[in-house]
Amino acid sequence: MQTPLALDRDPTPVPIVRLSDEDLMGRVAEGDERAFTELVRRFQGRVTNLVSRVLNDREASDDLAQEVFVRVFVHRRNYRRGSKFSTWLFTIAANLAKNEIRRRVRRRNWFSLDALQEVLGDSSSHLADPTEGKEVSMQREQLQKTVGSAIASVPEKYRLALVLRDIEGFPYEEIGEMLNIPGGTVRSRINRARGILKRKLIPLLRKEAEQ
Amino acid sequence: MNCRQARNLFSAYWDDEITQGEREWLESHFSSCAACRREYESLARTLEAVSDLPRVEVSSGFAERALAAAKRRSPAVDRMPGTVRRWVPVTATAVLLAIVAATVMQWSGMPLGPRHEGAVATLEQPVLIVPQPVKTEVPSPPKASAASTAPDAAWMAGAEGVSDSLFDHSEDVDFVLDSVTLRKGRAHTVVRLQPEPTRGEQAVITF
Repeated sequence: MQTPLALDRDPTPVPIVRLSDEDLMGRVAEGDERAFTELVRRFQGRVTNLVSRVLNDREASDDLAQEVFVRVFVHRRNYRRGSKFSTWLFTIAANLAKNEIRRRVRRRNWFSLDALQEVLGDSSSHLADPTEGKEVSMQREQLQKTVGSAIASVPEKYRLALVLRDIEGFPYEEIGEMLNIPGGTVRSRINRARGILKRKLIPLLRKEAEQ
Repeated sequence: MNCRQARNLFSAYWDDEITQGEREWLESHFSSCAACRREYESLARTLEAVSDLPRVEVSSGFAERALAAAKRRSPAVDRMPGTVRRWVPVTATAVLLAIVAATVMQWSGMPLGPRHEGAVATLEQPVLIVPQPVKTEVPSPPKASAASTAPDAAWMAGAEGVSDSLFDHSEDVDFVLDSVTLRKGRAHTVVRLQPEPTRGEQAVITF
């Protein structure tokens, strides 16, 4: 028979992998490095993907994604207990991605419309000619590259909302919190981004569908 | 509703964030409007292409590198919100005290530092502009204090014709003005006409 004292104790602490994101972040705030590593493992893919799609730069996305997690650790005491961790994390990621886009624009070392035209032109001619003997996987790869470039050509304020919604699948309300804008603005930005993307991609997609 | 209103619903329809009434109306519109149907298919194809993009693979050891980088930067955390940079008020107070002390010493006539007469002589041949005697009514010679000495009196005779101030302080204090060498419109160096007197009642103004 168990004594009341034994009932108060927790003889089997919850394994770290079974803790919620918020509980893990609570531990990180107290300096728990294992909890931090677990959080990184849980979100590294989504954060890297977000950054990579927003910047359309695979090489730089690793460093920037790492910086996102560094900021999480550095500012761990700013995390409000009870708030959703993923919202806070992706707010940091969105801000860093936004800053990086602006820095690149300033340096004029970024994707240009001319480059997009070039990519689209290459893809169109490539995809329009099946006699070239290219394999389907290469065509798909080329299409994905073109789609990635087209996303990168969407203006920054629409692009972030688009990637958060259509690639990462966040709900509108959460995107609004991440970007610090009202839900109606999120919807209008996403509509706008989708329209821009459709105009850029549909000629290519139609050609591909015809083949 | 018309085609324009129908197209405004496309995004919400794709996101499944549409009311049942709107859905029924839009779907009936699609059955009667080929242009809107094509337009929606284009949007759907675009968004499928976007959502079909492969996930970027994370490089191995990412979590460990992130932790190492975070630990390197962690000292910065402790200076973030909640803690105060203590050296700031201390430094500010010290600077303020130094300024106040320097001002008080300057106005009370105390020298701010040792004067090096020799240092003036080693300067590169300054051009001395000797002020011309001004014929003005100079108030009666300052009352020599009991402590005044012969060299002081001689010096006062030489400086008597020099207009030294806008205000007449001759009744209570002796003014000793150092000549100033001017080069390209600004004070360059100081050349003393006489050794600096060391009397309690005398103020020395230097530029």
